[in-house]
Amino acid sequence: MMRRIKPEQLYFIALVLASVGVGVCLACVRLTGDLFAGTYRVDLFSQVFKVMLSMGLFLVVCLCTELDGIEERHHPEFYFLLSVCTLAMMMLVSSVHLLTVYVALELSSYSLYTLVFLRKGRDRGIDAGLKYFLIGASASALMLFGFALLYGSIHAAYLVEILKILPNVINRPVVIVALILLLTGFFFKLAVFPFHFWAPDVYESAANQVTTYIATASKVAAIAIITRIVALSGGGSAYLVHMLVTLSIITMTIGNLAAVVQKDLKRLLAYSSVAHAGYVLIGILSMSQAGYSSAIFYALSILMMKFTCFLVLVKVADDGRNLDIEHLAGLHRRSPILAMALMMALFGLAGIPPTIGFTGKLLIFTAAMQKGYFTLVLIAMINVVISLYYYLLVVRAAYLLEPKEQLPELEVSNSIKVLAGLLIFGMVAGGIFPQYIIELSRTAAMTLM
Amino acid sequence: MPIAYAHFPYLSLILLSCVAGLLIIIFIPEDKKDAIKWVSAVCSGITLLISVYLFFAYDKTQGGLQFVEKYQWVPSLGISYYNGADGFGLPMLLLAGIVFFTAVLTMWELETRVKEFFALIFLLVTGVFGMFMSMDLFFIFIWFDVSLFPMYLLIAVWGSTRKEYAAMKLTLYLLAGSALVLPAIIYLVVKSGFHTFDLVALMHPGTFTPFQQKFAFILLYIGFGILAGVWPFHTWSPTGHVAAPTAVSMIHAGVLMKIGAFGVLRVAIFLCPEGWQYWAHLMALLAVIGIVYGVFVGLSQTDLKFVIGYSSVSHMGIVGLGLATVTVEGLNGAVFQMFAHGVMTALFFSSVGYIYDRTHTKSIAELGGLSRTMPVASGYLIVAALTGIGVPCLASFWAELTVFISSFKVYPVYGILAVCALVVSALFILRVVQRTCYGPEKERFAHLEDVSFKLGIPRMILVSVIVIFGLFPDVMLNMIQTASIPFISGLP
Repeated sequence: MMRRIKPEQLYFIALVLASVGVGVCLACVRLTGDLFAGTYRVDLFSQVFKVMLSMGLFLVVCLCTELDGIEERHHPEFYFLLSVCTLAMMMLVSSVHLLTVYVALELSSYSLYTLVFLRKGRDRGIDAGLKYFLIGASASALMLFGFALLYGSIHAAYLVEILKILPNVINRPVVIVALILLLTGFFFKLAVFPFHFWAPDVYESAANQVTTYIATASKVAAIAIITRIVALSGGGSAYLVHMLVTLSIITMTIGNLAAVVQKDLKRLLAYSSVAHAGYVLIGILSMSQAGYSSAIFYALSILMMKFTCFLVLVKVADDGRNLDIEHLAGLHRRSPILAMALMMALFGLAGIPPTIGFTGKLLIFTAAMQKGYFTLVLIAMINVVISLYYYLLVVRAAYLLEPKEQLPELEVSNSIKVLAGLLIFGMVAGGIFPQYIIELSRTAAMTLM
Repeated sequence: MPIAYAHFPYLSLILLSCVAGLLIIIFIPEDKKDAIKWVSAVCSGITLLISVYLFFAYDKTQGGLQFVEKYQWVPSLGISYYNGADGFGLPMLLLAGIVFFTAVLTMWELETRVKEFFALIFLLVTGVFGMFMSMDLFFIFIWFDVSLFPMYLLIAVWGSTRKEYAAMKLTLYLLAGSALVLPAIIYLVVKSGFHTFDLVALMHPGTFTPFQQKFAFILLYIGFGILAGVWPFHTWSPTGHVAAPTAVSMIHAGVLMKIGAFGVLRVAIFLCPEGWQYWAHLMALLAVIGIVYGVFVGLSQTDLKFVIGYSSVSHMGIVGLGLATVTVEGLNGAVFQMFAHGVMTALFFSSVGYIYDRTHTKSIAELGGLSRTMPVASGYLIVAALTGIGVPCLASFWAELTVFISSFKVYPVYGILAVCALVVSALFILRVVQRTCYGPEKERFAHLEDVSFKLGIPRMILVSVIVIFGLFPDVMLNMIQTASIPFISGLP
């Protein structure tokens, strides 16, 4: 029988490989080219997202020192599925053919379904995993139908060809229906209304590290592909815009209102993800270079802010349990740096300057305002105020509440402290000196048009 | 508007000393409380010195924007780091410097979570200073929000009397205000077609159509007005003042509410002068309701801090009335009143804070005879009260006088109402003073010690500022005129 590798060794190998992945992606940012008969495109847009995805994987692996939410015998599968999922998402952001899009999307989804199942304590994982799977499967069936309709009506499967044909036929009902159906598969990934029902249950039931991955990397990939698909329409269709506006408003309002009453931190973050999906849609539906670049920028900010929240969650729930908001009580004394990181991340999510979250929202709102969507921006701002309430409740728990019994100081390794410090720095620096990232995302958005 | 670039970045130096103070405090160990307090005192002292220097170094004959610093920040969005001081900004900078320094000294006796307290205060004040000096809409908004969000923790951790409720209410109200301000700012920037957040460039006449100005003005007025305590959006303010710890009440009522009024002036009125003229009557109406309402609700309060809280609503109404007159005198009076009221409430809260720390009660009924046990402390309270009711030779008198004269010309009915309300307010504030400071001596307070010289320093500074500007109001009025006269004469 083969000797099993120890969990620590596994962790170390995964960490090294993930960091190599980040390095390679960073080195390849400026590459361009086509592969596999033009179905796979390497351009700045895809490379920027690959950097984010590899960073997402690396960061999630960083959290796996105590992987208590998953049986020890499943650890190799966990790392394997995580890597496969990242690979699939990297393929997804580079896909420029309907079939590769579908294959990549399904590959990433199936790895995620399995990852959700892996949660220790069978029932929870299976329950949520099944829900995730069923909604996901129906969404992808709808999407496949959309593909078929689109191909049937315009006889093109390469996105480049679609880009040429689509603006001329965008007002034909069949094309609109095809596009809407096509988007459902991605809306499921991003947890946009009406495909958001899985989010709270899956977030709650999956292991903390898996939830982290779903909330960060998976969202980034979804933003990328929705941006690419919507960019195909060339900004022509009023119907598409109306639908996106409606979905965006409903999504952010539902997400924020539902988040207000949550007790479980992961459920709260799930609903806040839903709300953020609504904000991102505002940028995308502006259908301009500024809009797409704001979506790219926002993807990066979501990655950083959400990850920081989960970093704190994973470290506080050190035995892999779920965390109620009130269990954060006394965090400011138990670990000042984690409390600080949590506060910055939450203020970032609430869009308070000078954090990267504010700059992202400003870019999105400016893009929408340039298209004249004043009411939409106003509704979004009202939502931001609602969201502030529940973010403040979490801050209150970390800074004001005292735990019922005396809790010891959290043992946080130095590397995690450094990571938290870097994240705080990154979130503030992204808010104060956003120039470079804005330029990069603008150039990346250019390649879509 | 003439623009004079700075030879030396004084304005950035103010911000820098706030940020430096913040960083130093973060790296001082928690238990070295004295070191933290001294760093706070030194850094806030530097900001005070620079703001005093700038106030007197400003060239009044030249006018316009001076000490200007401008650097490109995000060129692709048209954002620049653009600081400048004019006749409206300098009194506010001076006020912020005075209140910040005295607030730090007032909190010298703080013992719980000292490090976090002063770190948050520094963060808040960075935003305050930035707001008063920035000439770029993007930065104005950033500073505006930076000055708001530390309030939540400052009140909820160190406050009293329903502190969590008050903190949450205050934060949500103020952030709701900024939720109106941000869309309005983006709207103006996009509609101008200039692709810049530069306030001076956007002020160019004819940039916005009358409709755009009316539309954006009302959003900005309500958005900033919530922070200025405009009736009916004032309800956060008395609860917030009461719950906050002394220094935070001082900064909050003294400076933060001024940020709201200043935002109305700097952003709404500067960018949308036609919207201003269009909505002026509504502004005047809300302001007068605020004045009268503040006085009459204040009459029935039994808590000392609630009395000051409601008198703040009433006094900020005077600022609003001044702004609503669309005249030079009105603007002069409004800005002067912002300054005078800021110093006055700081003194008020500082002396009430001292009394509360010693007697552990703010209830007027329980206090009494303090002038015998604590003559100095009640002396400060009495000076603050007299300033509040506008006694001649104290700063508020001139400010209120200027506003009332201009409002009699433009809105005679409102002017009369406001003056009547102020007479009533004199009655009730004097009654409060009489109940707390005079009357039979209470035995349980007999052993309490009076304000020591060291703790008296911040209060003495505040009293002397009130008296100096009460005796020489011209110093302030001449300064404000360098901005208000060119602005009004430039109106279409």
